[in-house]
Amino acid sequence: MTLLVALLAAVAIASVMLGAGDVTPARALAVLLGRGDDEAAFVVGSLRAPRTLIGIVVGVSLGLAGALLQAVSRNPLAEPGLLGVSAGAAFAVGVALWLGASAATLRIAVGQLGALLGCVAVLGVVRLRGMGDDPVRLVLAGAAFSALLASLTSLLLLFDQRTADEIRFWVVGSLAGRHLEDLVAVLPSLAVALGIIAVIARPLAALALGERVASGLGHHPGRVRLLVILAVALLVGAATALAGPIAFVGLVVPFAARALAGPDIRRTLWLCLPLGPLMVLVADIVSRLVVAPSELPIGVLTALLGAPVLVAVVRARRLPTL
Amino acid sequence: MPKLPPIAAGIAGLATLLTFSVAQAASVDTAHGEVEVPDAPERVVTLYEGALDAALAVEVTPVGAVTTRGGDGVARYIEAHLEGENRPAIVGVVREINLEAVLAERPDLILAAPQLSDEQYTLLSRIAPTVVPEARELAADNWKHEARLFGASLGREAALESAIDEVEARAAGLAEALAETGIDGSANLVRWMPQGPLVMSEALFTSGVLAAAGLPVDDAGLVNQRGVHSDPLSLENLSRLEGDWMFLATLNEEGDQALEAAKQSAAFARLPVVNKGQVIPVDGQLWTSANGPLAAQAILDDIESALLP
Amino acid sequence: MNGGTPSGYWHLTLGRASLLLERRALWVGALLLSALLPASLAYLVLGTERLPLAGLWPALQGSGDPFAAFMVQELRLPRLVAAWLSGAAFALAGCLMQTLARNRLATPGIIGIDNGATAFAVASIVGLGVSLAPPAMALAGGATAAAITFGLASGGDTRGYRFIVGGIGIGAVFGAVTQLRLAQVDIDSANAAYPWTVGTLNSRSPGAVTVLAAGLALGLPLALALGRSLAGLRFPDAVASGLGIPLKRRRLQVLTLAVLLTALAVALAGPVGMVGLIGPEIARSLSSPRGVPLVASALAGALVMVLADLVGRLLLAPIELPVGIVTAIVGGPWLLWILLRPSRSPV
Repeated sequence: MTLLVALLAAVAIASVMLGAGDVTPARALAVLLGRGDDEAAFVVGSLRAPRTLIGIVVGVSLGLAGALLQAVSRNPLAEPGLLGVSAGAAFAVGVALWLGASAATLRIAVGQLGALLGCVAVLGVVRLRGMGDDPVRLVLAGAAFSALLASLTSLLLLFDQRTADEIRFWVVGSLAGRHLEDLVAVLPSLAVALGIIAVIARPLAALALGERVASGLGHHPGRVRLLVILAVALLVGAATALAGPIAFVGLVVPFAARALAGPDIRRTLWLCLPLGPLMVLVADIVSRLVVAPSELPIGVLTALLGAPVLVAVVRARRLPTL
Repeated sequence: MPKLPPIAAGIAGLATLLTFSVAQAASVDTAHGEVEVPDAPERVVTLYEGALDAALAVEVTPVGAVTTRGGDGVARYIEAHLEGENRPAIVGVVREINLEAVLAERPDLILAAPQLSDEQYTLLSRIAPTVVPEARELAADNWKHEARLFGASLGREAALESAIDEVEARAAGLAEALAETGIDGSANLVRWMPQGPLVMSEALFTSGVLAAAGLPVDDAGLVNQRGVHSDPLSLENLSRLEGDWMFLATLNEEGDQALEAAKQSAAFARLPVVNKGQVIPVDGQLWTSANGPLAAQAILDDIESALLP
Repeated sequence: MNGGTPSGYWHLTLGRASLLLERRALWVGALLLSALLPASLAYLVLGTERLPLAGLWPALQGSGDPFAAFMVQELRLPRLVAAWLSGAAFALAGCLMQTLARNRLATPGIIGIDNGATAFAVASIVGLGVSLAPPAMALAGGATAAAITFGLASGGDTRGYRFIVGGIGIGAVFGAVTQLRLAQVDIDSANAAYPWTVGTLNSRSPGAVTVLAAGLALGLPLALALGRSLAGLRFPDAVASGLGIPLKRRRLQVLTLAVLLTALAVALAGPVGMVGLIGPEIARSLSSPRGVPLVASALAGALVMVLADLVGRLLLAPIELPVGIVTAIVGGPWLLWILLRPSRSPV
């Protein structure tokens, strides 16, 4: 764990020192030491530092959300997107664009609201049929609902060329251009989510022993699940609102964390804290360097970096069959 | 007489009908080879905004067109040229062409986009002569070749040529007027995204119009040969946009809102061009995805009203 | 085996060869066919321009109004055939996959075929200097994705995590690359690539139709020949082995067949994955739980495709909704309802 944190610190510093522009690591270092020139100070202070912070927050959110979801659905392939949150956010953004907003003026709350609504809808349908306690059905419902929302978004794009022309840039995700105010705006929901996690970590670990055991130990499985879903929605909503839909982090990070931590969900969650930002920041740094002076969208890089990691983890360990 | 197989009979019947309706024919050079078009087509269907533009520029109102904005809308600058009830019928959206609707219009000429798929071309060319411009590498005067091809297909080469000449003359006149008021220098054309601007290519249609109007576009070497725009330029490198003027393309109605939003970005706000107040919000759909003589005129309108009060 | 024919079966003898046909399967097949026929007729008659039913036969023959003949013969009939074939292929592949994975949500799409096919097709349209036509590129993309997934899972068994995880990873990479390319090009090229991202039956390649027809002609009998083993695959491994089914080999065969059918179907119509879920679901709800409803799935898939495309053409005429969108919008809630009610067979 300390190794990971140290690694994260190193990567974070690298993130502040490297970039697509002309401010070299040496100049950036000078700024950090308080002796930099104005240009470098601006780049480091107003561009790279906020970006690093946002990257850390997004990484933590997505990593934790993925770990929680995989634990509660007992499906190691569950991704936060499966709950309808990413699709909900994309749909909300599409509708907002269609109604006249532009990518430049989009409010942060739109994505968050969409994500939450998507999740609530999935939950609602599942509970309506009295299946709220079945994690498998939850994942199935989420997948079907996501597909539905994705097709509704496609439908929008069919009709309105302008929306199509705008959303294709949002949908690939990016950490750039966000202000610290945006970060502050999502902090309340993050705080709530983290609070929930602190409370339910123990019951969640008990849940892994089986429903009856958990109930016998005095926990309420149904309630735990509900809280977990809520936390996931808040976390993913915040991350998507900040950076657009960044796929794969919520899948790969818990996978790797579990490989290192073993079966205890609490250790896994703990390890997701440095691993999530690690993945996001590395992807972000690469996105800045690879087509300088432009930047690649981060969603592509998380997929390109994450896929090999995923496969490597799976090959290295013996995992049970489905 | 031997019984023809059904499909051949159908085609033969259709072909006969077509032959009888095409009195005399001209021949134009398209991406799929030489195509014979009727001399004075009366029922034209356009499947491409550039074709609709060219047709309206020579005062031919198509009977059918695809929409590019929601519902039955065509681009705003084209709306202005469609009067009253004489509107083209909708034959689909640009992403899904409804071939039956095209057939229902009984066209005698179809004008399509360079990106038309081969399968659609095969079917459309059986309905009516279909004109597809050759796909060329991006260049600022591609629109002239396309427009001339459409003009020839419509039998109105002269009218189209004069439309092009009008554009060029007006641009030159505007260039002079701007020079007189001391407005010159280079320009950048960008689409603003919060994560960084998309720098539009110098070889774009709009860049050509701007250059003709005395404001050559500089894409800072960021856009490669085939690209329409760059990947988002890193906010750290905004200073590479060294043009004296910046045209900020936004896709929604409120251009000023977009400018305000862009100014929220500290990196943008400290650009000298912003401080000099030389950033001009423009209609993105017109400035980044339209082409044709009417579009050129509309862009010149925008330049004039923005820079010459 | 002494005694007569087992209950629920018909015994067919042709000289020395004999065949056991399950009665219920035959009824279900007949039912679906009898739904498919009027649907197909409606498909040919309805549309942006409506044809009177009496005019259909002359149009098919080529006599009568040449425009009607053209519309039926060149526009609607090829589209109908494409709908039949792709719907049947998607559903058949879905049924195979679901039996294999013992999971009602499994389709070959989870191993990245859809995304691979889309990525390659989009690449050929937005210009990567490749001159192959989009359908061929789509086939190549699907095959590549499948090959990489198979390769990454080497050593593990085809139902294990390695396989599925590898597939998800490959699918995600291809999906990301597609998004990237679509964001880098002009809107006209992005528009041209759109049909390949949602699945449509508009103006499909006749070559792809022929190839898919050949694929189905080979694949359906092959699948039927695997029939008995397929039913056995649904049991736990020990039971299946005890029944004499060569598990590993059988699984590989079924998977290859499913992947092949899907790749060919996507090369024709684009990624219409929902049919691979809805078709088999319909078939399962009608058929007996005893066997694996292969033919019923294929027929149900064809029916769904035809109806979905018909609705897509009629609903907002003259604007056509691509069939992929219709199946997802209708299929999504329907699937939710189906999945969320208590079922006879385990998920």
